[in-house]
Amino acid sequence: MLQSRLGRAGALGRLALRVGGRYVARSPRLIFASVDRRTELRHDLALRTADDVAEELGSMKGVLMKLGQMASYVDEDMPLTFRAAMSRLQHRAPPMSQELASSVIREELGGEPETVFARWDPVPFAAASIGQVHRAITQQGRAVAVKIQYPGIARSMTSDLRNVGLLRRIAAAAFPGLDTRALVDELGERLKEEVDYDLEAKSQELFADYFKGHPYIHVPAVVRDLSTARVLTSELVAGSRFDELQGWDQRERDMAAETIYRFVFRSLYRLHAFNGDPHPGNYLFHGRGRVSFLDFGLTKRFTDEDLAPLIDGVRFMVVEGDGESFRGAMERAGFLQAGAPVPTQAVVDRFGHFYGTVMSDAPMTITPAYASAIVKRFFDARSPLAPYSDVPRTYAILQRINLGLYAVLGSLNATANWRRIAEEIWPFVNGPASTPIGEAEASWYAERDRHRVALDRTA
Amino acid sequence: MSSEVDHESRLEMMAPLARAYARSVPEQPADAGLFGPRSLVWRVNRDRAFPLAGMRSLMVQALHPLAMAGVAEHSDWRRDPFGRLAATSGYVLTVTYGDTASANAAAARVRAVHTHVRGTDPVTGLSYSAEDPDLLLWVHAGMVDSIVEVVQRYGRGLSADEADRYVAEMVPFAVIVGVPPERVPASAHDLRTYIESVDLRQLTPAARDAIGVVLDPPDLAPDLRELWHDLGQVAIGTLPDWAREMYGFAAPPAESMERESVRQLIGAVDLMFESLPGVLEARERIELRSRG
Repeated sequence: MLQSRLGRAGALGRLALRVGGRYVARSPRLIFASVDRRTELRHDLALRTADDVAEELGSMKGVLMKLGQMASYVDEDMPLTFRAAMSRLQHRAPPMSQELASSVIREELGGEPETVFARWDPVPFAAASIGQVHRAITQQGRAVAVKIQYPGIARSMTSDLRNVGLLRRIAAAAFPGLDTRALVDELGERLKEEVDYDLEAKSQELFADYFKGHPYIHVPAVVRDLSTARVLTSELVAGSRFDELQGWDQRERDMAAETIYRFVFRSLYRLHAFNGDPHPGNYLFHGRGRVSFLDFGLTKRFTDEDLAPLIDGVRFMVVEGDGESFRGAMERAGFLQAGAPVPTQAVVDRFGHFYGTVMSDAPMTITPAYASAIVKRFFDARSPLAPYSDVPRTYAILQRINLGLYAVLGSLNATANWRRIAEEIWPFVNGPASTPIGEAEASWYAERDRHRVALDRTA
Repeated sequence: MSSEVDHESRLEMMAPLARAYARSVPEQPADAGLFGPRSLVWRVNRDRAFPLAGMRSLMVQALHPLAMAGVAEHSDWRRDPFGRLAATSGYVLTVTYGDTASANAAAARVRAVHTHVRGTDPVTGLSYSAEDPDLLLWVHAGMVDSIVEVVQRYGRGLSADEADRYVAEMVPFAVIVGVPPERVPASAHDLRTYIESVDLRQLTPAARDAIGVVLDPPDLAPDLRELWHDLGQVAIGTLPDWAREMYGFAAPPAESMERESVRQLIGAVDLMFESLPGVLEARERIELRSRG
């Protein structure tokens, strides 16, 4: 076992060297120093009291901004005025004043940030949807990112979400022709989980543990004893942001996209968990396809029984081309009423769009237009199938693949043979590695398996 | 696409209000203006509950037959209600946040317009003039009382002391249009006493007509109309009993007047407003100067 461990470390070490590992051997101080404070935070407008927070983000405002953020996926169809408005509002995100942020640390961790941590940067380096992130160094000498939630926001958002009538009316005004019920349900699901940092810490640990040692996918470790329901402390990672990636060459963007794709579907089919927030702000890029995944505020785990009909669906639709069996799988999953008076071809047509990236064994470019068409179809209340179709609660979160992932890949104009990559991951195919990233992943997985087996034997 | 056109027109009615807002908050003021960044007037007059206060003001002000007749017979409000609202709102903002010269100039324009506003009210048969300090005081009182009531219940809040201070700080608002300072109530209590002392209060057909338009403006997109109606119901709920009874409005159910849900409604409307060009920037200018 010792042997295999060393072997694994050696292999990973070589790999990291080859790809020029940036987040590996670095001192906490260097990492701390290389994480830039983002300049667009309006410190001159900082929120100074919980009352300021309520004024800025309470009374529906934060909730509706989130709705706008979701709607930005609906890009093409979003009315111009609304789109402009949302981008204006999203960029404001005033941070908390140093005193207000410290007060949250005091309440949650029992001391001033300057004494809880060995080093504390009082100026946040990033905004989070309902809070902000500070860099710090722990007493044990680890560089960490400390996410702090706005005080009072959890309570006020929960109350705002209860006002479903008002939310639906506004959704209807902002997005004519969309299924406002689905939109508002989606919004509620998203926010309820996002306000609970405890839940997020557990999810992040699940992913960090699974992807440990992965040559391309990195999930920062959680620092448990410095995390609570309103504070989440995890390993600090330095890397480039999505907008910087956009300036890199297409090869880099394709590789980053491939890793994101692998992360999403490997999590789903192998870990049976889905991190429901594929969003540009939640990645850091390290070049040559290496990506750190940051936000686990919305994660769902699936049982084998939950996943079975979905896996069947892919198999029948994509691999076997069996419409009737596909329909059966959709009925078992609850996406379609059994015995609905619609021809099977209509069912195949309607759902087939969501399998567009894996239908054929060929390179395909995911464009912004493709991503937007998928989203429009998803919220389209006018489909002939609409009266008979539904998104069962269990699977609601998966729709973020359609809402978020394709939007991200689309804005990268990413090209790959997505089908081959998917076949590597689909448990019913177990296809061979189809790309260099795939090969590295396969050896990681083999080592990982061997390691697991060794652990099981010693146990 | 038609939805695009629909949406553009949806918020279009708010656009004059947004333009007025952006224009009235100067980027490079010559001085701190009539009140100054540390004043209560600055804090209160940018409260997000202001649309509600505005609706209530109009409902109270319209119950003076002579004040109402002046508006009904000399203003084009009916052709362009939101434009009229924008002009009033721009005036209040300029006097509040503009520098002294802008505030005085705005007041001078209002006084100039007022010289032409005179006539005879068809209901009471009394002659009126917009320069009449009685009418000017009534309009001032209706506005200030409404702001206090609404901001206390649904805004960022105002203690009893602060309400008194605010009413006192607002006295110049009445003075610059021609009310002798000694006649302007300077506490919340005096203000209420004054309003209830005005004998002429009554509902005229012109007032009924005007408030009908306020509560249900034409050309409002159907989905916005519902929000507007809700706002109107809350405004009715904040009226003093005598005013609500004159109009014959039923008191809205208590749950629709509950602070949290009203604030949610206000927040939603405010976000739409804030999303229009220039509004956020104007608010930031005010905020930065208040902190300065």
